Amino acid sequence: MMISVIFVLIAVFALLFFAWAAKWRASSSEVLENPAAHIRSVDIQAFQNLTSPEEEEFLRASLPPVEFHRIHRERQRAAIEYVSCAASNAAVLLRLAQAARQSGDPAAVQAAEKLIANAIRLRVYALQAVAQLYIGMFLPGTRISPMRIADRYEQMTRQVVMLGCLQYPTRRVSTAL
Amino acid sequence: MTALKLLWYYLWIAPAVVQLLVVGVMVRRKLYQQFPIFFAYAAFAVCSFAVVFATYVSPLFSGDDYTHAYSIRLAVTTALRFGIIYEIFFHLVRNYPPVSRFARPIFGWTLVALLLAGVVLAAFVPGNAAEHYMYVIRVLDRTASILQCGLLLALFGFSEYLGLSWRNHLFGIALGLGIFASVELAVAAVRAQLGYVKSLDYVSMGTYHICALIWLVYVLKRERVASVAFTTLPAHDTEVWNQELQRLLRQ
Repeated sequence: MMISVIFVLIAVFALLFFAWAAKWRASSSEVLENPAAHIRSVDIQAFQNLTSPEEEEFLRASLPPVEFHRIHRERQRAAIEYVSCAASNAAVLLRLAQAARQSGDPAAVQAAEKLIANAIRLRVYALQAVAQLYIGMFLPGTRISPMRIADRYEQMTRQVVMLGCLQYPTRRVSTAL
Repeated sequence: MTALKLLWYYLWIAPAVVQLLVVGVMVRRKLYQQFPIFFAYAAFAVCSFAVVFATYVSPLFSGDDYTHAYSIRLAVTTALRFGIIYEIFFHLVRNYPPVSRFARPIFGWTLVALLLAGVVLAAFVPGNAAEHYMYVIRVLDRTASILQCGLLLALFGFSEYLGLSWRNHLFGIALGLGIFASVELAVAAVRAQLGYVKSLDYVSMGTYHICALIWLVYVLKRERVASVAFTTLPAHDTEVWNQELQRLLRQ
């Protein structure tokens, strides 16, 4: 009886998930119409500071253990928030790049391809990083490699610049003037 | 003929008619080149319907003939549905080489894990073993439902997280199949507990009718071409780029 009930619940969950996916897809064109509303601010330096092993060691040495663990958890929570924001921005840029990939200009298509590859990598790293940060929240000393997230985010924004330049070369000249 | 019997015939015949339209649209738009397995599935669904229906209504055929025709249809359509899932996966990742590299092993391992779970759970879920033949068919059907539902959930979840774009036709095929697999899973679970319940046939057939309509709507849809414009950003550090990106996107 119990297993049958579990199967029915899984089926209901799956059905709701598919309905949500259809609804989400219908509303996802909003991202292209107004991408600014979906971009969240990310302070990479602050993120690097939060995940710095030196900072953690300094806090560990300076604070009583109970206080250190409380602050460490708060720092990890903040770092998770930063990673989530970066991943969310990557999703927005991914949508923009997918649209730009349909451009007729081969250089713009190539730039869009690179942006897509980086945005996807950042999303994958973000998934790993969030898991590691959650583990680190309860096991201080667990290291994550924030540089990968930060580097990828930098590369991604650089590629947005390049894509913009390729799509509007004349405006670039006029801006320089 | 009672209203319920009429409804029964409607739910049996109408999906085949809709599938016939799907086949027609796919031929006209040459979509069979892009989705050969889905096309084969739709075409087989129409042809096998004709055979199974004939064995059901014609006095020339016995009950065993009907059962065999039904079983063959079930086996082939189930196999083709797995093929469609692979086709969906192939189309979804082919434009993303970085995803393609790690997604293939993930897809393979998900299939193995679901197969193991399906086999183990099928062995534990009770069933009426009095009709051995139908019992085996139902166990296999239930296992297939678990696999298909799980694979489609994994595909949807994976693509949603990574932000992979679904083209209209592909999304429609996956959505229809996903809804059908979910309901079939629930129906199989209830049947395993309660035995054969006639009203569940209506649920199953009604869902299949809805899915056939979803497929028809999506194969009729044209692929939309999205476009977006970027403007120039200054080359400074990340924080400035980020601010500029926001400013740019607000324009």
